[in-house]
Amino acid sequence: MAVASRTSLWLGADHLLFVDSNGYTESYKRFYFRDIQAFVVQKNQTATIINIVLTILFVLVAASALSVQLAGLKYFLFSLAGGIAFIMLINLLRGQTCRCFLRTAVQIEQLPPLNRVRRAQKIFARIRPIIVAAQGGEISPQMVSSLMQEKVQSYTTEPVTTPHSPNIPPRLDS
Amino acid sequence: MNSLVQCPKCQALLLEGIFNQPELSPCPSCGVPLQVEIFPALFRKINPGQSGEALMVEGESCCFFHPQKKALLPCGSCGRFLCALCDCELNGQHYCPACLEAGKTKGKIKSLENQRTLYDSIALSLAIYPLLIFYFTLITAPATLFIAIRFWKSPISLVRRSKIRFVVAIILALLQIAGWIALFIAIGTRHSSIPHAKN
Repeated sequence: MAVASRTSLWLGADHLLFVDSNGYTESYKRFYFRDIQAFVVQKNQTATIINIVLTILFVLVAASALSVQLAGLKYFLFSLAGGIAFIMLINLLRGQTCRCFLRTAVQIEQLPPLNRVRRAQKIFARIRPIIVAAQGGEISPQMVSSLMQEKVQSYTTEPVTTPHSPNIPPRLDS
Repeated sequence: MNSLVQCPKCQALLLEGIFNQPELSPCPSCGVPLQVEIFPALFRKINPGQSGEALMVEGESCCFFHPQKKALLPCGSCGRFLCALCDCELNGQHYCPACLEAGKTKGKIKSLENQRTLYDSIALSLAIYPLLIFYFTLITAPATLFIAIRFWKSPISLVRRSKIRFVVAIILALLQIAGWIALFIAIGTRHSSIPHAKN
């Protein structure tokens, strides 16, 4: 029975397909390569916290296993401690955790499948050339620098008031 | 939406030193390790939408939805003439808003489909979970068969293209039905083999 949603990311011909499934329905979001503006990876401490919790659990279970006299219970606790150690090892091997965001002109979407830094970097290395090709080629760091300055300038000098438009209702307060 | 990239944690604007680095670099404001990959689309200017050109010459083709505007091209689905305002481009195809809406609701345009019901998973769950309380399978086994046969041709997951779940569900449902039939036959024959008491 599905109790939690499962998300995955798929590479399409001209888009990334984000699939959110609860086991019985799937919802899809498509991010076309031509529209993707940026990926932002933010490293977080989830892996460390998980390992601290698992270490505490491991120590407690192992200590209990050493102290109990009943052979059956001793074996059970040792195997439980082994299971916890195995999960810890997997967590360690998978590396640091992160939150990954995809940005387009109209949205910032979190991508839960990319929750490990190493995996996110691997995926970026794979899709970066495809996205760049879809957007007409890479931009040089110098160009990025000048375009960013332009953007920052326009951002800071943007007028706060909205321009007059026939679609906007007239402002009533003075 | 802000046209500049922001730190997801502190919302500070990120400037060029942090972009497209091979490894994580600290956010200049909050210090959280970040990796920011930017693409040319970030600097692309968004063109304002077109409103359609007014008809100037008598007898010129006009838009189906706006008779006072000049037609630019036909809808790729229904063939109606469209002005620049009504032209909705999708993957190189041009549609009118009505066909786009119909394509989305009826699932005709695959790239607009944003949800699917996984009937194969429903059938498989209906075949497996009631086994925990076997009596339920008297009802759920025929229901599983019905769902599997009724929705056999309906589209399954976009990313998983095998019908194996349907097949397993049908096999399990048939086994359950066969089990019930065997049980009823066994009960019936046992009942008929018991000698009736003579009055």
